[in-house]
Amino acid sequence: MIEVGRLCVKLAGRDAGKKCVVVDIIDKTFVLIDGSTRRRKCNVGHLEPLTQVLDIKKGCSHDDVVDAFKELGIELRETKKKEKMVRPIRMRGKDKVAVEEVKPKKDKKKAEKSEKPKKEKTVKKAETVESEE
Amino acid sequence: MVAGRFKSRTFRRVFTKTPGGSVKLHYGKRKPSKAKCGKCDTLLSGVPRERPFKMQNMPKSAKRPERPYGGVLCPKCMKKLIKDSVRA
Repeated sequence: MIEVGRLCVKLAGRDAGKKCVVVDIIDKTFVLIDGSTRRRKCNVGHLEPLTQVLDIKKGCSHDDVVDAFKELGIELRETKKKEKMVRPIRMRGKDKVAVEEVKPKKDKKKAEKSEKPKKEKTVKKAETVESEE
Repeated sequence: MVAGRFKSRTFRRVFTKTPGGSVKLHYGKRKPSKAKCGKCDTLLSGVPRERPFKMQNMPKSAKRPERPYGGVLCPKCMKKLIKDSVRA
C-alpha cells in the first residue's frame, strides 16, 4: 500500500488533515513525505493512504512535488525562506558589541550554562567550608 | 464575623500567614474545571485552567494545542474523524 508516489492524508500533528505524497521509504515504519505538509519523515501509522498514486521519482525535490500536485489541481502554498538571523552579542568583560552569526540555540545555551554553574559551585564550596570552620 | 457571602462553597478558604506572624483566613475564587473532549469526555491536555482575566491576556497558542480541533477534541477522536471523512 505504502509506495513511492502514493497520495496520503496525514492523521496526526499540526499537519493533520492535509494531503501528502510518499517521496521515499526509509524503514518498515518510517517514510519521507512532502506536499501541503512539511517535508519530513513520518510514521506509517500516522498516514491514511488514498486510492491515487502519483508519478514521481524516488527522492524527488519539493519543486517536482509541486508540479505533480498541480496536475491533480491542488496548488501548494510557497513558504518564504527564512534568512539567518544575525544578532549582536555583547562580549563578556568588554563594552564592545560584537556581531556574530547565531549558532544553533541549544548548543549555545548548553555551553553558557556549563560555564556558569562550575564557577559558582567552587565559590560556594569555599564559603561553606570557611563558615563551618 | 464572616461576611454572609463568603459562607458559600463557591469561595475557597485560604489560610495565609501575615507579616506579623499570625495565621488568618482569606477567601479566594475558584478556578474553572479542566476542559474535556467534546466526544469522549476524556481530559484534554494543553488547555490551561485559569480565570477569564488570565485567559484573555494569554497568547492564543498558549491556550490550546497546535492541531486541528485542538482544545475541542482529543487526538484519538480527531483521528477517527479524519479517517471517516477520507474513507467516505
